[in-house]
Order: sequence, then C-alpha cells, then structure tokens
Amino acid sequence: MQPILTIDLTTGETGVIEIPSDWQRDYLGGASLAARILFDAITLELDPLSPEAPLLFLNGPLSGTSGPTVGRFVVCAKSPATGLWGESNCGGFWGVELRKTGFDGLLLTGKSEGPVYLFVDDGEVDIRPADHLWGQDTYTVQDSVNAEIKGRAARVLGIGLAGENLLPAALLLADHGRVAGRTGMGAVLGSKLVKAIAVRGSHPIPVADAEGYDPLRSAANRALKTDNFTLTLRELGSASAADYFDYLGEMPKKHFQSGVMEGVERISGATISETILVGYSACHACVVACGRVVQLPGEKHKRKGPEYETLMGFGSNLWIDDAAFVTRMGEICDTYGMDSISVSNTLGLAFTLFELGILTREDTGGLALEWGNHDIVERLLHMIPAREGFGAHLAEGARALGRRHAAEDRAVQVNGLEVAYHDPRGASGMALVYATSPRGACHNQSDYFLVDIGQVEDTLGMEFYERQAGAEKAANVAKHQDWRTIFNSLVICYFGNVPPETVLNLINAACGLDWTLEQMMLCGERGWNLKRLINNRLGLSRANDTLPKAFLEPMPDGGSAGYIVPFEEMLLAYYAARGWDWETGRPSAAKLVELGLKWTLEPL
Amino acid sequence: MPSIFPSEEWLIELKDYINQDEKYAHIARNWEGDLIFHIEPTGALVEPLCFYLDLWHGKCRSIRMVPAGDPTEAAFDLTASYENIVKVLKGKLDPMQAMLTRKLGVKGSMPYMMRNVPTVLEFVRCVQDVTDKVLGD
Ligand code: SF4
Repeated sequence: MQPILTIDLTTGETGVIEIPSDWQRDYLGGASLAARILFDAITLELDPLSPEAPLLFLNGPLSGTSGPTVGRFVVCAKSPATGLWGESNCGGFWGVELRKTGFDGLLLTGKSEGPVYLFVDDGEVDIRPADHLWGQDTYTVQDSVNAEIKGRAARVLGIGLAGENLLPAALLLADHGRVAGRTGMGAVLGSKLVKAIAVRGSHPIPVADAEGYDPLRSAANRALKTDNFTLTLRELGSASAADYFDYLGEMPKKHFQSGVMEGVERISGATISETILVGYSACHACVVACGRVVQLPGEKHKRKGPEYETLMGFGSNLWIDDAAFVTRMGEICDTYGMDSISVSNTLGLAFTLFELGILTREDTGGLALEWGNHDIVERLLHMIPAREGFGAHLAEGARALGRRHAAEDRAVQVNGLEVAYHDPRGASGMALVYATSPRGACHNQSDYFLVDIGQVEDTLGMEFYERQAGAEKAANVAKHQDWRTIFNSLVICYFGNVPPETVLNLINAACGLDWTLEQMMLCGERGWNLKRLINNRLGLSRANDTLPKAFLEPMPDGGSAGYIVPFEEMLLAYYAARGWDWETGRPSAAKLVELGLKWTLEPL
Repeated sequence: MPSIFPSEEWLIELKDYINQDEKYAHIARNWEGDLIFHIEPTGALVEPLCFYLDLWHGKCRSIRMVPAGDPTEAAFDLTASYENIVKVLKGKLDPMQAMLTRKLGVKGSMPYMMRNVPTVLEFVRCVQDVTDKVLGD
C-alpha cells in the first residue's frame, strides 16, 4: 500500500508514514490496519476530543480499484460516542481520490488555532483558513471549497453544525450524501477545528499484480451485476427487504416496542420505487448502485432518497408512514452532519419516556412528544445540532438521555451506540452482533440479519440456522463477523454479494499474496480480536457484552411475537467459539498466540 | 404410491396439493405470476429439464413439462442445478439461501419477488410436502 500522510494541526507540520509490510500482510488495510496503527495511541486516558487524539482516514488494498463495490474507506479514532474503538465506513469518491494523491491514508493529530480546511493536491498539502465556512452545511461546504480551488474539482469531505458542536452523533459527509455515519467521527474532526478535507490526485491506484487483477475484477463485476441481491438493491435500494423484515418481526416499530404498524408498507423500498424514485446513485465504480434519487410530490428538484436505516428510524420507529417526510428528515440529518440512526433512536427514546410520563413538557420546553407527530420531530431535528433547549439533552445521545432521567434501561443502545433497525427478536444472530461489536450496537460489523434469512456462505464453513435459533448459531456469528472484518479491511461494501472465493482471488492479486480461504478468515479473526483488545484496554469487559432491556423482553405482536432471545446461553457459546475468557472478557493468551497477536500480551 | 421428482405425475400431484392447501391459498392470495423452472443437468439428471407453473391468487391454474425448444415465456425464469433443486426439495437448502448465495438464478421482477417472499416460501413448502422421492435416490 501507499504511505500515510500525517498532518499535525497544532504545528502545521506534515509527514509521511510507511506502512510496515508485515502489518499490511497481517491486517490487509482499512479498519483492521487502522486498529494496528492506532493501537498504542488509543488509551484509557485519551480524551477523544482532545488535540492528542488521532483521527485516521484509511483505504484498503482494494479501495478504488474498480473491483466489486470497493469504492470505500474507513475513518477510525477513539469514539466520543462510546469511549471505545471508533470506526466508520464511507462510500462515494473521496477515499478513491485520496489514494490518487499518492497516499492511502491521512492521519490527523493536534488542533488548529482556528477553523481550517485541508487541501491535499497530489503530494502537496495546504492548510487554509475556514472561518468563513464554519457554520455551513455539509453540501454547501463542498461547493464553497471547490469554488476556492483552481482547476479540476476536488472531492470534499466535511462536517456540518453537528460536528462543529461536537455531537457524539456527528458524521462526515462527502459527495452526493455518502457518510461515515457512526461513532462520532465528525465530532473528532470538529474538535480539531477542521471543517473539511479536499483531495485531488492523479496517481494511479496501485495493485501488486495488475495483469492478474484486471480480469478478476471484470469477471467479479459481471457476476455481481446480475446477482439476485444486486438486482433487488438496485431496484428497491437498501430497503428492498423491508416488507420481508416486517413480516418476520425484524423491523422495529415505535422504538422497538411494537411488532405491527398499519401503513408500514408505505415506507418500504418497493413503495419508494413505485412512488418517488426517479433515479439511482452509486459510489465509485459500483455496479450495484443502491443509492436512491427521489422527487417528492409537488417538487421539481431531486433529492437523495432515504436508505433502510433512515426509513425505519424516522418512519416506523417514530410511528410515521410518510416516505416524503422521512426523505426530508434524512436530508436534514445529512445537511447538519448527524447520524440518522443515532438521532432517530434517541428521539424514539424521548417519545417513549414522554409516553411513560418520565419526560414532561417541563423537560421538553413545552413540546408534547406524541408518536407520529411530524412537526415535533422536525422541530427537534433543528434543535439537536444547535444544542438548543431540549435539543441539547437529545444531542448527547440515548444513553445520556436515559441516564439524565434515571431510565437508562429504556435506551436501546449498547456501550453508548444506539442500535440500528434490526431487531434481534426477529433475527437472533443480531443479539450477539450488537452485544459484541467493537464499536457498540452496530449492524456494520456483521449484517447477520441477512445470514438469518439465508445469506450463508457455505464455503466458509457457515451453517444455516433458523432465524430464532439460540446458542447453536454462536460460532456461526463469530465466523460471519470475521468475514465482515475482511470486508472492512479491503474495503468492500456489505451490499456487494461477492463470493468468498472471488474476494480471496482479488486479495491475492491486489496484495501479491497466495492465501487460502482459511488464511483470509484468520486475518479477519485477527482484526476482530485486535479491536477487542483495544476496547479491553479502554475498560471493556464481559459486563459490556449486553443487550438493551427491550430485546430481552418478548415482542407483543407481529412476526417475532413471544420470542425471547436466549442471550446468556448464546453469549456463553460465543465466548467458547471465540476463545475468550469468560471472567475477563478478553481473548485468551492461547488465542492471541494462535492469531499472531502475542505482541499484545505485554500492554495488557 | 408417491410419484418421483421430476415426472408428469409429480407435477399433477403438486398442482392438486397447492390447490387444496389453505395456508398457501391465504398467503399467496395476491400473487400473480407464472414461472418457468430450468433445471440444469447435474448428478442423476442427464438432460436439461424445464417445467411451467401458472400461479394465480393462491391457486395453481396449470402446470406442465416444457419440451426443449418450446417458446413458452413466463413472468419469472428460475434456473438451478439439479443438485441444488434436490437440496431445496429435501429441505437441505433454504430457498432464500439459494437466492442469496447464487444457487438459484432469478429472471423477472426481483422487487415483486422480494415483496412476496412469504409466498415463495409457502410455495416451496408445498413442493417439499409432495416430494418423497427424487431421481437418483
Ligand atoms: S452498494 Fe451502494 S453503498 Fe455499496 S458501494 Fe455500491 S452504491 Fe455504495
């Protein structure tokens, strides 16, 4: 891989880090390699929003190579949302353009004296004042930066008001609304007073064996283009399976309290396609094109359409069945630079607490938080990034809101990260995924809900278990997490239904390796455990491997009614499969040696 | 005596079974679409095989083998190897798994298919129910 560009924002000094070749071999790239690079720097004492906190943007060896769904990069740091490992993954074109500057990564430390934006133009770095850009939304800032740059437009990644105001849910946005949404990476950039990062380059993207790689990637793209999952994603977007998830009781409603909602089909991917969809959008060289372009009734202009999480978050989660409204709420989140999952989940908690009488009008500044009230949702959405009135309480996220009102157990979060919209009562594998994810409740460390409905890769030794099975699927979950860790290293989008053998061949050609599937999976397992070790050092133990109370109670109705996740048994089996110590919650020494992580034993 | 898959008798049995199955009739009440199954020869099947099913509002209106060269078209074209079809028939391969892991090719409206997954699963249940024996057993 190419080197990493470093910028110390306190001094303005720049530098270059060469990535050791054994690290590239052991972690490939992306999030796992980022964990290795940041391993020493992410400590318990580190304040994630302090100048000392590093923020690493990193590509993988496949990023930008025009392979199947590989136009992605990761952003990693200590998370201000969770205090744990922070990792977010973004599509679009920015990461690819970064690679074209001759750097595969960008490591920021320090803090600028005043607002700045960074311009990396091929090998050159320019740190420019951004006082005049501070306060701009995430789309406007892209135009503003490009207006100041001569020549070909740069790719710009920026923060909005949420990042400037250091919200734990602050995200980074680039291009036509592609986001690094989770774990508050926008706040980390904001804490350094960096409004945006523009990149422009002309270097070729390196692969070890270009001659071998090109036919492989072409064949992989051809196969992916006609894959069943691709066809549904292109036609219906990421909410393609919404109707089925609803049927299974896997799609949350009313802040995870209801299994049935009248009119819920109005916010499905199929309905969007039949009503407001006018086009598709895609990340770099992606043949899937899951992005939605929509036109709302009575409007002439086009907007970014909502993906599954936003649809459910501002739809069924808040008892709303209006796709046009949800589209606008998603857009508001994007322009302010807020993660729609975390924000909508926190709103769901607020509505729940209001219904229970735990929150009153006195707390909310006179607002009656009634389910399905569009106006209230929209008003709050403007108050949150500005930390205005009750919005300041919501801005701190679900766990903090619950704590403030002695109702933390009502918050549907794990380790400070709000749960995404896949209910483990409908797809039980997600119980382990949420509880053990290195970045808090997250569906992008393993989208096991798809395995629970059949996306089972048998060449990896995975089995198909009934969607509400228990401990017997624990080892399968671990295997899937390892598989997805490989995706987050390369960096491949989960929506690319690429067979393991194809991924392996692409790795071997791009990295000059000669791996087997087993070696590839070992690499995934190594990455997963390394992130676990970082979190152990940050104080994470088995006590953190929990589920919110909502998931340990039966759903009253719908497709998962009555089912109780046998969580303790599942976790016990998971620990056994992982080779983790039940007492400490850490990987055993034997496991670390097996994974080539013996070097970590010393700091622990 | 139960008929063997694939055979004309099996097709007739399947049609009758679907048409008396109340659960299928309910779940598939809105389904409108005919299908052609293309079975590629692997294992015990030596020649490609094709059959047609007209499914409409919870009933099977017609079912028949399609001889090679027959120009019949349908809303959905499904393709799988004989081995994988047998696995589905015997409950060893979940139909959604087959769809999501490239073991079953689907041509036709994927959105319609995804919206009607419960119907597809019920249909497969009926097919499994009528299948006791397959060629090669
Ligand atoms: S499938 Fe969608 S999110 Fe994934 S790379 Fe393609 S366009 Fe981007």
